[in-house]
Amino acid sequence: MTGLAPHLFNGLTLGMLFALIALGFTLIIGVMEVINLAHGALFALGAYFALTILGDWSAGTAFGAWWLGFPLTVRYVAALVLAPILAGCAGMVLERCLRPTYDKVPLYGLLLTFGAALVIEEAIRLLWGTGEKSLALPEAISGAVLVGGLIYSKYKLFAAIFALAAIAAVWLFLERTSYGAIIKAGAHDSEMVRALGYDLAKLRMLVFGFGAGLAGLAGVIMVPIWGLRPHVGVDVVIPAFLIIVLGGVGSFWGAVVASLLVGLTVGITGAYASAWSTMSMYLLLIAVVGVRARGLFGRKSALEN
Amino acid sequence: MTSLADIPRRAGAWVTPPMAVMAVVTVSAPLWLGPVGLHQYLGIEIAIWIIYALGFNLLFGYGGLHSFGHGAYLGTGAYAFGLFQHHVAVSLWGGLLAAVLTAGIAGALVGAIVSHRRGIYYALLTIACGQVFWFVAVKAHWLTGGDDGLLSIPRPALRLGVTTVDLNDNLAFFYLVIAVLAVTVVGLWRLVHSPFGRILQAVRQNETRAAFVGYHVWRFKWAAFVISAILSGLAGGLFAMAQQSAYPDVMSLHQSGLVVMMVLVGGGLVGFWGPVLGVALYFGVRDFLGALTETWLLWYGLMFVVMVMYRPEGLAGILHSVQAKLSCAPVLREKPTE
Repeated sequence: MTGLAPHLFNGLTLGMLFALIALGFTLIIGVMEVINLAHGALFALGAYFALTILGDWSAGTAFGAWWLGFPLTVRYVAALVLAPILAGCAGMVLERCLRPTYDKVPLYGLLLTFGAALVIEEAIRLLWGTGEKSLALPEAISGAVLVGGLIYSKYKLFAAIFALAAIAAVWLFLERTSYGAIIKAGAHDSEMVRALGYDLAKLRMLVFGFGAGLAGLAGVIMVPIWGLRPHVGVDVVIPAFLIIVLGGVGSFWGAVVASLLVGLTVGITGAYASAWSTMSMYLLLIAVVGVRARGLFGRKSALEN
Repeated sequence: MTSLADIPRRAGAWVTPPMAVMAVVTVSAPLWLGPVGLHQYLGIEIAIWIIYALGFNLLFGYGGLHSFGHGAYLGTGAYAFGLFQHHVAVSLWGGLLAAVLTAGIAGALVGAIVSHRRGIYYALLTIACGQVFWFVAVKAHWLTGGDDGLLSIPRPALRLGVTTVDLNDNLAFFYLVIAVLAVTVVGLWRLVHSPFGRILQAVRQNETRAAFVGYHVWRFKWAAFVISAILSGLAGGLFAMAQQSAYPDVMSLHQSGLVVMMVLVGGGLVGFWGPVLGVALYFGVRDFLGALTETWLLWYGLMFVVMVMYRPEGLAGILHSVQAKLSCAPVLREKPTE
């Protein structure tokens, strides 16, 4: 059992992080009925913003010298807050481009975001270079920690706890605030929400920004584990996709449960056949969707037509 | 917006004026490719991708079935061709047959799973299945050579009765690909105007209604998937010959998405010739813009985004509305989507 424990832990951590990515994704699908293929690109963008905010580029300039004077922890917290906001802004710009596609079949939204993902990825190559980068981490969350006779990476613990807190915050936001109620109502029946006098255009923009911000946040948190490359977005958007389909499109708990399931599957397969661990999640998906067309918690959606 | 069903066509003809134009352009290509500053090899690549894109558009444009994992069948065909040359025999027809059969079987299996679905679930499942193929290609080192791919695939000679043509000459190979392309174009043209093609379009317009009229919708969706996988496999076999290698990159989501982009930019949703325009434009942009800037994909992507926003009918749609204006026929009004 002790042999399996680290893999279970790894799997759960991965699951939490997947859930963070998938939540933004499912929120956008639920409210906007847009499959945002650029979600992974926004994830990467968030991580690259964090890289810039941490400031390894700016040593030459006066501002850079001033900024690098701050301790790493301060800069890291700034990155953790600002990078998702910037990614959210990028998301809002993308939403603005999506507007002409709203009254057409969902395919166009999907295609547009695919193009946008390509553009963002190329822009990242242009701005930050093609090489592999890494985020500097503060002392407090790097290194290893001993729990119950097993060595864990401190960062993974931090990432898991942070992701759990973020998921809880999103849930509280959706369930316990009036904004959350409007968003959920928008997902259920956007015509009615508009009829009640809410500005649907603004709501959509905010939801897209919020979802993109979650993607950016997941990027900042996940990249120290996965590494930062321009095409990291593609590696991420695929699991997020699978999780959404597995959990059922537009379902909060579906996304969370499916994320944990996928995380555990990948973690446990990693223990026995590490080369094939990514493969297991595709097989899981095909197995589940072959039996339950709409995933674990899915309901009928407008996207099926 | 305009759709495939709005465009009048000469349905019964075996050969149409656009086909004649295309035949003239392709057959004369070796004469003008050089002077324009392009390589003969580019012509081969474009012709192969046109076969692939046309096959893909049977599913995408005519069937309205949005596969985002079609690279898998191109790749399967390429690997099958390479493995046949390496392990069975060095033979052109044998290799192409192996490519077509393997891709067809793969398509039949995946099609059986995905054809029960529609809309976005269809797209998602094709992505998942495509990723499985890509993943196996990367990981199954003993079979596919992993990331490096299968190398040094020979170009077997073409045996035609008494004569033998050496296909290592790019010009000879180009004409072989053109011949295959011609057969594909005529065959697909007949297919989309056959009852099968009509029913496929009915499925696109309203699947539930097509089912109520009495058609076994699953069977048509599955058949369309298999045919397009077979054509992708054929293109893949030729591609393996052209590149003299087969590698997993063509199966990635990125590459599968590129063919979707090409078909859409060209106007595959609006006309039979859309994919041809789209592929030519993509490779043209790649070669001309790629010579100027390394970030040509950024500009192509931006062009694509703008096109989806404002002219989702693509090049074929633009040409069609220009033609309609010139002939003073009433231009098709914007209609609410199906």
